[in-house]
Amino acid sequence: MAGPSFAERVYRLLLRCYPGEFRDEYEREMLQAFRDRLHSDRRVGFRAIVRLWWQLVVDSIIRAPGEHLDVLGQDIRHALRSFRRAPVFAFTAIATLALGVGANTAVYSVVHAVALRPLPYESADRLVRIWEKNDALALSGFSASLPNYLSWRERSQTMRIAAWRAGNVTLRSTGDPVRVPSATTAADFFEILNVAPVAGRLFVPGDDAGGASRVAVITAALWRRHFGEQPGVVGSTVMIAGNPHTIIGVIGEDAVPSTAEFFMPLRVNPKEETRDNHVAQVIGRLNNGVTFQQAQAEIDAIARQLEAEFPASNKGWGITMSTLYDWAVPPEMRRALYVLLGAVCCVLLIACSNVANLMLARAAARRREIALRVAIGAARRRLVRQVLTEGVVLSACGGAAGVLLAYWSMPLLREWLPSTLPRATDAAVSAPVLWFSVALCTLTGLAFSLVPALAASRGDVIEALKEGARGSSSAGHRSRQLLASAQVALATILLVGAALLVQSLQRLEHVDLGFDPGGITAAMLGLPNDRYGDSNASWAFYERMLDRLTSSPGVTAAALSSGAPFGGGNTGMPINAVGPSRLNAEALQTDWRMVSPGYFSAMRIPLLRGRSFTGAAADGENRLVVSAAMARRMWGDEDPVGRQIKAGPNGLFTVIGVVGDVRNLDLSLDPAPTMYLSATRYVWPTMTVIVRTTGANAQPANLLRGVVRELDPQLALHNVRDMETLISESASQPRLNASLTGLFAVIAALLAALGIYGVLAYLVSQRRQEIGIRLALGASRTSVLRLFLRRGAGLAGGGLVAGVAGALAASRWIESMVFGVSARDPWTFAGAILAIGLVALCACYIPARRATRVDPLLALRND
Amino acid sequence: MARDIETEVQALLPLAPAFLQILIALGEGERHGYGIMQDVTERTAGRVRMSPGTLYGSIKRMLAEGLIEELTTGAAGADERRRFYRITRFGRRVASAEADRMSALLSQARSSGLVPRRS
Repeated sequence: MAGPSFAERVYRLLLRCYPGEFRDEYEREMLQAFRDRLHSDRRVGFRAIVRLWWQLVVDSIIRAPGEHLDVLGQDIRHALRSFRRAPVFAFTAIATLALGVGANTAVYSVVHAVALRPLPYESADRLVRIWEKNDALALSGFSASLPNYLSWRERSQTMRIAAWRAGNVTLRSTGDPVRVPSATTAADFFEILNVAPVAGRLFVPGDDAGGASRVAVITAALWRRHFGEQPGVVGSTVMIAGNPHTIIGVIGEDAVPSTAEFFMPLRVNPKEETRDNHVAQVIGRLNNGVTFQQAQAEIDAIARQLEAEFPASNKGWGITMSTLYDWAVPPEMRRALYVLLGAVCCVLLIACSNVANLMLARAAARRREIALRVAIGAARRRLVRQVLTEGVVLSACGGAAGVLLAYWSMPLLREWLPSTLPRATDAAVSAPVLWFSVALCTLTGLAFSLVPALAASRGDVIEALKEGARGSSSAGHRSRQLLASAQVALATILLVGAALLVQSLQRLEHVDLGFDPGGITAAMLGLPNDRYGDSNASWAFYERMLDRLTSSPGVTAAALSSGAPFGGGNTGMPINAVGPSRLNAEALQTDWRMVSPGYFSAMRIPLLRGRSFTGAAADGENRLVVSAAMARRMWGDEDPVGRQIKAGPNGLFTVIGVVGDVRNLDLSLDPAPTMYLSATRYVWPTMTVIVRTTGANAQPANLLRGVVRELDPQLALHNVRDMETLISESASQPRLNASLTGLFAVIAALLAALGIYGVLAYLVSQRRQEIGIRLALGASRTSVLRLFLRRGAGLAGGGLVAGVAGALAASRWIESMVFGVSARDPWTFAGAILAIGLVALCACYIPARRATRVDPLLALRND
Repeated sequence: MARDIETEVQALLPLAPAFLQILIALGEGERHGYGIMQDVTERTAGRVRMSPGTLYGSIKRMLAEGLIEELTTGAAGADERRRFYRITRFGRRVASAEADRMSALLSQARSSGLVPRRS
């Protein structure tokens, strides 16, 4: 008989589209039918043959997938039936997976919302932030001075640059005056960001010209809150510091990278602005075809030009740039998020290996049934497919449950998230997050069913039928032991991480602040220029206010500062010592604050040397109180009282006292050198008033507002906050890291314990006969106990070693997240090893003890 | 009991055209796969030509539904290499139920004037 013709070979290829089972059943017949039909069609004509091939192609494209779906449907129904028969197994597996997938979905939704989502600005990858830097003064990202900014703007060929100054304005239109965050921006600021107005128009060049009428742009949020979303807002007028401003447009949410709600054009008065007054934030858009590196190189060159042209102000000042994304989501924050994601993935891996173990145990128990099916003709390929389908069905159910869990816990999680995490309030189980979960489910389903599937496809049929329920496939058992050890390793890594983070949090929360935050409420107040023109008038008002406050019931102290601790923002300048000092001619970058005379006692900042300010205005003139860090840096251990420093263009200051260091910005940062000026003489446009109240008066906010309104009804207090809450919030990111990782570590340890328990329990049940023989031959029960404990210890020990190695390797990533403790702290490692060791011991003990209870007679009889 | 079978029969209606063709082909006796294909082609004067995929896909489903059964031994004088199929009693009932359904449809079409009456 002639070999297969070309046509037949082509048809054979087309038949490969059908599932293997279908082909096993009908391929021969279909080939024969094909041959007969081709033979008869050849006699009919060419058109019949074309029609035949058309039908065959349609078969392969449409019917064959239908057959595949049919088989899949059968497998799924079979899987569901077998789960109904083993409800404990199914429930355990699904619950384990739900925990793993749910936790991952929740964490991923946060990571996605904060770090992975693109920024909401048009072509955000072309946007950059530009700062001035001064390495000598240890300033890495400092505001720019307006004249410098203008020079950059003129000279840059690679970027379009715009600046803005943040501030606050008191809005007076209808109702009470209200204080809103504001910004004065370059005329092309909105254009560079490609913002489209929600109503009206935005700034154009010319709006910032000297004689142009005063215009303003507001945000939609302000429109809603303050103007009741009334349509006539465009064109309406508001009073700012006595001047009418016309609102010309409204912008939407997230349109610009600033929290300001009220925007005015930036007018630069060259006579007033100096190159060493750093006040502005700068943003740039790379021109088409320009790379970040090219722009950086150009702006560096411009900085050097300016240094040469204006040595008095620009010496030592360079420029630093970063992409807008790197500024919005700093690399350390991203790293912390990814570490969290890694931690939760560990939990999922452990969950998967638990389920894999469960499936292996089930497969081992069904060995006989499987062997029988193979013996009566079931294809191994089909068995493998069934196991994989079981796995996918389990992971689909577990995944769906997990996504639901995540969805329900999102509101709780969002509350937990620190306010410092940008864009975190948008975290939700959104479409990209769902796709992530689906992909995760599929991968995990395949992952944990792969090993059992392979185990099902191997294994000697005859042996399985002979051995029956006894005997264990050594390959399957080795896999289970490896999985259990891997679980221990992962749990160890997580526990070490969690312990480090918890310790960091504790140290952070107990760090010495330098002041007593108990009962302190702070609020910010700005005195408008038109009515409080000079510092005397301002201080007169503040003095009256402080008097009123201290005489109010429940208030133990009241004081003023240009910037309270943890208020956000900072003011600082370089100063030089007059006379001999440790720094010689070098400048020292020092934070400065303008404070009322009673500030130090109100905040309970200890006075270490000398004295504080008196209430007289003359006493404040050219006098300073310095912090211990500043004195130490400048003059070492020598007495600084009486020494002089030179600060800014205003000349000489004499030190009259030294106070303790205060942490001003962040719990984890060491206190910076600080100097204090007296507010009787030097007043900042926006001051923070602080009151310390006892429990009796529970409404310090209302008290503050009341007093201010009494003294001047046109003033508005803003940013009222409780100091202890503020401090606690500043630790919220470490708190989140510690709590989540701690939770994951506990879950991981439990799952690992379950894993070891499962392996050992199975081992005991498999070796009942052997145990019976040993006991019958005279072995003591303790020796049996020791035997199994040793096995368990071996499993756990291997896992611990791998875990410690893994934790050491991962310490690199966690280094930036820990405070006050090294990422390789040996005590922490020892503690984690001990904890996991104990957990593993308990997990081993139960099955080992059951082994000692085996009745030798029963065990030997059970064949 | 009779009502159970009746519901089962009704559950399969309307019958897929390919199924009906195969049942008609097997109505006269046992056939193998290609035999069914040939019979269908001849009866419909070449208008309906089944592909092997359609045929064996339908056979597989009809076996599962119990409309046809496979012969364990070759039919008399048959080629050993082919598999033979035979209609079952249930298959006959279903075929006849389908025929009834179609003729009822035809009467309704005639009485509404859509189809000219037979003169």
